[in-house]
Formats: sequence, structure tokens, C-alpha cells
Amino acid sequence: MASVLSISNISKSYGSIKALQNVSFEVPEGSVFGILGPNGSGKTTLLGTALDVLKADSGTYSWFENMQPDEARRQLGALLETPNFYHYLSAIDNLQIAAAIKHRGMDDRLRVLEQVNLLERKDSKFQTFSLGMKQRLAIASALLGSPRILVLDEPTNGLDPAGIAEIRELIKALNSQGITVIMASHLLDEVEKVCTHVAILKKGTLLVSGDVNDVLHSEDIIEVQSEDMALLNRVITGMAGITNVRQANSMLLLSCQKNIQAQHVNQFCIDNGIVLSHLLLKKKSLETKFMELTNG
Amino acid sequence: MKDLLSVEWLKIKSYRTFWILIGCFIVLLPLWNYEISKGIINFTKGAGANLLGGAYSFPGVWGNVGFWGSVFVLFLSMLIIIITTNEFTFRTHRQNVIDGWSRLQFYHAKVLMVVLFSVLATIYYIIIGACFGMSNLGTFGDIFSAPEQFGYFFLISLDYMGFAMLLALLLRRSGLSMGLFLVYTIILEAILQHSLNYITSSKAGNYLPLQASDELLPFPLTEMMRNMMHAQQSSLSSYVYVTIGWCLVYYFAGRMMMLKRDW
Repeated sequence: MASVLSISNISKSYGSIKALQNVSFEVPEGSVFGILGPNGSGKTTLLGTALDVLKADSGTYSWFENMQPDEARRQLGALLETPNFYHYLSAIDNLQIAAAIKHRGMDDRLRVLEQVNLLERKDSKFQTFSLGMKQRLAIASALLGSPRILVLDEPTNGLDPAGIAEIRELIKALNSQGITVIMASHLLDEVEKVCTHVAILKKGTLLVSGDVNDVLHSEDIIEVQSEDMALLNRVITGMAGITNVRQANSMLLLSCQKNIQAQHVNQFCIDNGIVLSHLLLKKKSLETKFMELTNG
Repeated sequence: MKDLLSVEWLKIKSYRTFWILIGCFIVLLPLWNYEISKGIINFTKGAGANLLGGAYSFPGVWGNVGFWGSVFVLFLSMLIIIITTNEFTFRTHRQNVIDGWSRLQFYHAKVLMVVLFSVLATIYYIIIGACFGMSNLGTFGDIFSAPEQFGYFFLISLDYMGFAMLLALLLRRSGLSMGLFLVYTIILEAILQHSLNYITSSKAGNYLPLQASDELLPFPLTEMMRNMMHAQQSSLSSYVYVTIGWCLVYYFAGRMMMLKRDW
């Protein structure tokens, strides 16, 4: 798959604070690419660099395989950090400025306002908007002219639960139309629900990036015990779908593929003449996984 | 260029502060000059006459209206500070770039505003000067008897507004930029100018950023006194060159800042 954004070896410091250290990754076309990391991990700095509002100390980035950067930015819709609009102008007038800079038609403004449910407030001044409405307007502005890529920094900031769900659905719907979405988030749950790919940042360093199922795969552990542990160990190691067997105290800890559940293990043991005295499925939560990744 | 200015126009066309300050300039400048010409405002009452009021015929009208106009250019400079720092306050400077302007385009849009305001202010100055001159026994042909004055007024406007914009780009905060701008123009530059002249026993202080252009259209009474004493009329060309020099300094300093700094 062609990559729409390629980041290579970007580093950036604020005084003694290293905001980004040699970060490199590629965003494949058509993906929903999540940049995940705790607060202060460098997500916004990274996006700001790729959008030319911040200057990297070293490293390069390129959009659409070396398209001229100003031209590339007109092809994408981006929301960085906060909704940035002229407070004294109405929603529709603010969008007019964005559309003029992007060289887009003015007739698109009503469509995008409708898409984020702001149509009836189109003539209200930006300064009268609630936080959630400001965020919606920023998303509307990003949607102007049907961009090929959306860059959304914490897109659900300030939205109520219904609004969050709406934006998630919107992102999925846009992605299904072929639009690549790059979103930064500190909400693991959000990334897991909508992203196909993920890069995890911690203190400016890229920990891991790739397919979301590989990176955030939450492996379950099944604990088993029986009278003859040696036999159990021998038999269970041969079971299809078991990827790892470890002995801990008087138990065996089984790592298994997604399709293997506790009842399959039980059935397998019975079929092989073993009666289990203990069988427990230990779910490893995504949060635990995230904490492991970012604290490890 | 037209694209950049049309976006700037979208930003200010429904901005109340813009219209109020422009309105102040448009209404107060002729009103102020009218009151002086009629002796309603009279700075020379002690002399038993209205000396300034007499200077509203051609060609003296250009120096008179020009001096007061250069004072009123402060309104426009403040406007430049406000619309520039607004971008930083609302973080729309970032959004303009995110939406597809280059940093230089953003900067040039603002520079063009300064140039455009200077051109429009100069045109307005010519209209007002012409009106006063014509109503004081002048003819239409007299309007163009001293065209260098139009250039001086343009340079003063460019100098003040360019300086104001550089300050706004540097400080990014509205109150601070405005405060420092007024402190510098009203007090600090006078202190610097006179100290420099005193220490170096020369006119070096006259070449400070805003003073250089002030020299082009001095306070009318000073000018009158000089004429009465038949003092040597010093050439203004050095002030013209220095003013242009300062404007170039503002442009390149601003440009470097916009390209290098984080937004």
C-alpha cells in the first residue's frame, strides 16, 4: 500500500526537553492511523511538525510521496490541538476563510456544517459556541472540500458521549469512502475502536507502530492445574492454538491465539484423559497492555 | 497578491474594532484640521493670532494636514497591531498555515495590508489636503504643485505601520505590543533622539526608526519658525533614504522571524 505520510528520523527539543527523538513511521493510504500516547508524549508536536507550524531540529517528512508541502496541506483537512477560529466571526464566515485558503468552493460549507450538526448555528459567532461546538466546527472545517486525508488531534476533546460516538461513526464512515484518517489520542479505547494502525509514543520516542491488531493484541492467559502436572504440560503443549506454556507456582499459564477459549482447553484435556482441577481465564485488559507499553 | 488580500478582507470585513478605528481616522482627521483652520483649536493663542490656521492654502496645507495625519496614523498602527496579534491570540496564524498557506504567504498577506493601508491613507490625505487647499483660494492645478509631500506621507504611514507590525509579530500579545508601541513612539524615542543628539553633538538621533520619517513632515510651527529665521533648509533626501532603509529592516526582520520561529 502506498504511504500518504512518511515521517523519518524527526527530532525536536524545547530547551532541555526532548519532545521527539528520531521518530519514523509511515502512514498507509486508506488506514485510520492512531498516534497514541500519554499526555506530553509528543503527539501534537509530531503532527505540528508535519503540518509546518513547528520546525523539527532534524529529520524530514513528506506527504503523498514528496508533494510540495503547501500544496499537500491544501489536500488535507487538519485539526491541531485546539479549534482555531476568529472569535468575532460566525461559523459560516470562519469556514469561508478556510475554504478560500484551501482554494475550495464556498458551496461546500453548508454540507460540512450539516455533517457535524451545526447547520442551525451557522450564523452564530464563534465566541458564543460551547467547547463541543467549537470542536465540531473544527472538524467541519477539516472536512471542507472532501480532503484525501484527515489529520485530527484529539478529535473528541470536549464532546459529550453522544458527540464522541457520532464523531467515531463519522471517522469510520469517511474511512470507508477511502479517506485516510490520522488521529492523535491519549484514549486507548478510542484508538482501539476506530484505528486500523497505531503508533505509540512515549516521552518523544516511538515505542512501536504497526497494525492495531498486532500492536494492541490483548492476549488472554488461561491458568490450568491438574493432579499430574507433567502429563498436563506434555499434552497441552501439543494443543493447536497454544502459543506458549509457562509454569508458575503450581499452575501452567497458557498463552493462546484469539480463537482459543477456556472451554476449548477443557474439552481438549478431557479428550486426552486429563481432568482439570483448576481452569481460569485471565483477561489482560488493553489498559494493562498500554501501561506496560508506556511504562515499561 | 489578490488572493492574499481577499482573505485578509474576509477576516476584517465584519470586525467591529476595525471599522471603529478606521472611522476614527476618517472622521477625526478632517474635523481636527477644520477646527484648527477655523481657530477653534488654537495652539498659538498666546501669539494673539491663529498661526496654524493660516496654513491651509496651497502648498502649506500639505505640511499642516500631513503632520496631523501622521499623528492620526497612530490609529491605523494600533489597528495593525490588533489584527496581527489577533492571529496569535486566536491561533489562526497556525490554522492559516495548516489550511495551506505557506508561512511566507501568511506574512506577505499582513505586509500587503500595511502597504494597502498606507496607500489608502495617502489617498485620503491628498483628498483632505485638496479640499482645504481648494476652499482657501486654491485651484485644481495647485493640488499637484508639491507631489513629493504625497511620497513623504506614504513613507510616514509605511514606517509607523511597519514598525507596529514588527512589534506585534515579535511580542504576539495585543496589550503588550500596544503599550510598548505607544511608550516608544511618544516617550522613548524622544529620549533616545535627544540623548543621541546631545552625546554625539550631531543629528544622529533624528535617524531613529520613527523619527526619520517624522522629519519629513515636521510640526508646522517649527517649520514656520525655520522659514521666518531663513534657516538653511536642510535636504530631506537623507531622511527619505533612511526611512526606506528602516522599512526594509522591518520587512526582513519580520520575514526571518516568521520563517525561523515555531508557530
